[in-house]
Amino acid sequence: MSLRSDPLIGAARSVRYAAPLSVWLDRQSVFSWLMMAPPLLFLAALVGYPFCYGIVLSLQDRPVAHPGTFVGLKNFATNFNDPIFWRVALNTFVYTVVATLLKMIGGLALALAMNQQFPLKNLVRALLLLPFIVPTVLSTVAWMWILDPAFSVLNWLLVLLGVPKPGPSWLGNPILAMLSIIVINTWRGLPFYGITLLAGLQTVPPELYEAATIDGASGWQRFRYVTLPLLQPIILIVTLFSVIFTFADFQLVYVLTHGGPQNATQLFATYAFDIAMGAGQLGLGASVALAMLPALALLILALTIYMRRR
Amino acid sequence: MHATSRRRFLELAGLGVAATAIGRRPASAQSKQLTFLHESSFIKTFDEYFQKTLALAYEKETGVKVNYELTSVGSLPTRVSTISETGSGADVMMMFFLLPFLFDEKLLDVSDIAEEAGKTQGGWYDSAREAATVNGKWKVIPFSNIGQLMNWRTDWFAEVGVKKFPETWEELYEVGKKLKAKDHPFGFELGHGFGDNHGWLYPLLWSYGGHEVEEDGKTVIIDSDETARAIDFARKFFRDTMLDDVLGWTDVSNNKAWYAEQISCTNNAESILWLAKRDFPEIAKVTDQAMNPAGPKGRFHIMSAISHGIFNFSPQKEEARAFLRWLTNEKQLGGWYASADTYYQPLLHGYDKAPMWDVEPRNIPYRDALANAHLVGWPAPPSRHLAESVAKYVVVDMFAKACTGTSTKEVIKNAEVQLKEIYRAV
Repeated sequence: MSLRSDPLIGAARSVRYAAPLSVWLDRQSVFSWLMMAPPLLFLAALVGYPFCYGIVLSLQDRPVAHPGTFVGLKNFATNFNDPIFWRVALNTFVYTVVATLLKMIGGLALALAMNQQFPLKNLVRALLLLPFIVPTVLSTVAWMWILDPAFSVLNWLLVLLGVPKPGPSWLGNPILAMLSIIVINTWRGLPFYGITLLAGLQTVPPELYEAATIDGASGWQRFRYVTLPLLQPIILIVTLFSVIFTFADFQLVYVLTHGGPQNATQLFATYAFDIAMGAGQLGLGASVALAMLPALALLILALTIYMRRR
Repeated sequence: MHATSRRRFLELAGLGVAATAIGRRPASAQSKQLTFLHESSFIKTFDEYFQKTLALAYEKETGVKVNYELTSVGSLPTRVSTISETGSGADVMMMFFLLPFLFDEKLLDVSDIAEEAGKTQGGWYDSAREAATVNGKWKVIPFSNIGQLMNWRTDWFAEVGVKKFPETWEELYEVGKKLKAKDHPFGFELGHGFGDNHGWLYPLLWSYGGHEVEEDGKTVIIDSDETARAIDFARKFFRDTMLDDVLGWTDVSNNKAWYAEQISCTNNAESILWLAKRDFPEIAKVTDQAMNPAGPKGRFHIMSAISHGIFNFSPQKEEARAFLRWLTNEKQLGGWYASADTYYQPLLHGYDKAPMWDVEPRNIPYRDALANAHLVGWPAPPSRHLAESVAKYVVVDMFAKACTGTSTKEVIKNAEVQLKEIYRAV
């Protein structure tokens, strides 16, 4: 028996060409692209365009309200010769690394504690999210009072313990000021770490712990050889997010210290803003903001490789 | 069922977009409107006076409705930049500090309005001209200064035998030493605030004869004996009279410290007394205000001018100009100034003896200070290079680093390197 396939294929093709719009829309490939188009356009307009425009600006001498002139890498060279820029780079690096490490360790401890059974567990878990939920500007203003020597509860306690009045100048001393913003950032970001890792902890099958216990594993060994390896992908993701958010932090410093004292807390984002908006140097400001990019990319790349190897 | 839903979804989405496009109506039928962008004033009666009196009067006279759009003073530069970059937004804008000089090329020449106001209202202060003209043309209409002067506690000064505010920085230093010993330190901002730091540090530098840049606007002259003397004074002034915390202060800090009765002297706008009278009457009773002390080269004050301008791309240029002319008339200006007592110090001599100065005699030094007030960076003309120096806190941090122990020579050298880099392209 011979198959008469050719005429049938031809008929099918003609049906396909003549198909109404509804059939065309029903195709998985067409429909999926149509569904993808709005977010892609959204991303291109609100992320892609500003990013590309930022690159163009960074290559221009572009005072606000004046036309720009192409200057190549001159803005980056200016930054290279600017002592504040290097101070800002160091500040941002220290701030990001220390705050992220504190959040990682503290967040993991918080998640482990929250994974235990205790009364009012759900309420406590919800309350823990408060620092993350409260608008940053609002919580920073509260911290401003906490760190003000005249009103500070910290200084009041320290003075009670014998420290000479009025106690440390948390925001007036360059080292204490950096320490303060790191602590506040950690306080704010800890719940994000804690809750995300808690979600990860709850996906660990209890049988693995039972098997490890039967094999004689101690509590530390169960954590080291069961919990940690299984949490690793989540730690990676949450650390990536944290590094990005911390590196580009703006509100906390802008409200609390505005980069002072003497640029001790100036970060890339606040410095770029001051130059672009305060001085009206849009090109130079964009170059400072873009200087974050390679450092951030390298940091994330290194972290990804490290975590994957492990 | 699934396929039908998808199709239906897309059809509905398409219909929605089409309906939105068709549904738009031309704006020609709308009445004439102008938008006036202004800082949200610290003195609420000032904004209320515009909204409830001036805007209504203008609409009644001309049929043009004025939308008084308020924004925080901190976000004003961002708002003005956005309008400038996008070419759309408010028709008339408040500007302050160095903004008129950053946007000068896009600002409409309003010399005719300014000259007319000068002729009819007693003439402009020299400092008004300094804060509003570029190459002889008025780019904005100066409205007022928000002066930064000395605020002092009369009761605590009296405890060390001082009834009248000291005339010179050295005399103030001697008083400050005694007051700090009695647990009443001074508090002058040395951190990265917006105005309270520049408000006393530039006048201090000038009063010792120091300057950042020459009058030519490009020759850096910060490295001088005069600057060194000002820094040496600031170091001992900080060490012997102040709280350590001032190094990290922003603009709200000295106000908080004042109302907490933590400091006996600071440098601030009139608002410190205004708020004390409203919320802390006992503190207001012992608060007085004085001009900045003099140094070897004289007495100086900062010019923190507020002004109003129109962008040249505005589609309603003439309407905006007509409104600004109307607003600058003494009939309107007098009432608006009076609504804020003297928080906004007029820059026209015609208001030097206005009744508003009789309301609170302790504010009079803010008027008298206008005679020797200058913009930051004086005597160099305002420029984007100067704005960069200010945004990088070059002068503020030069003083602050000296106060934390860095040598005078080193802080001046650092500032000079930064300024030369900033002014290199001039």
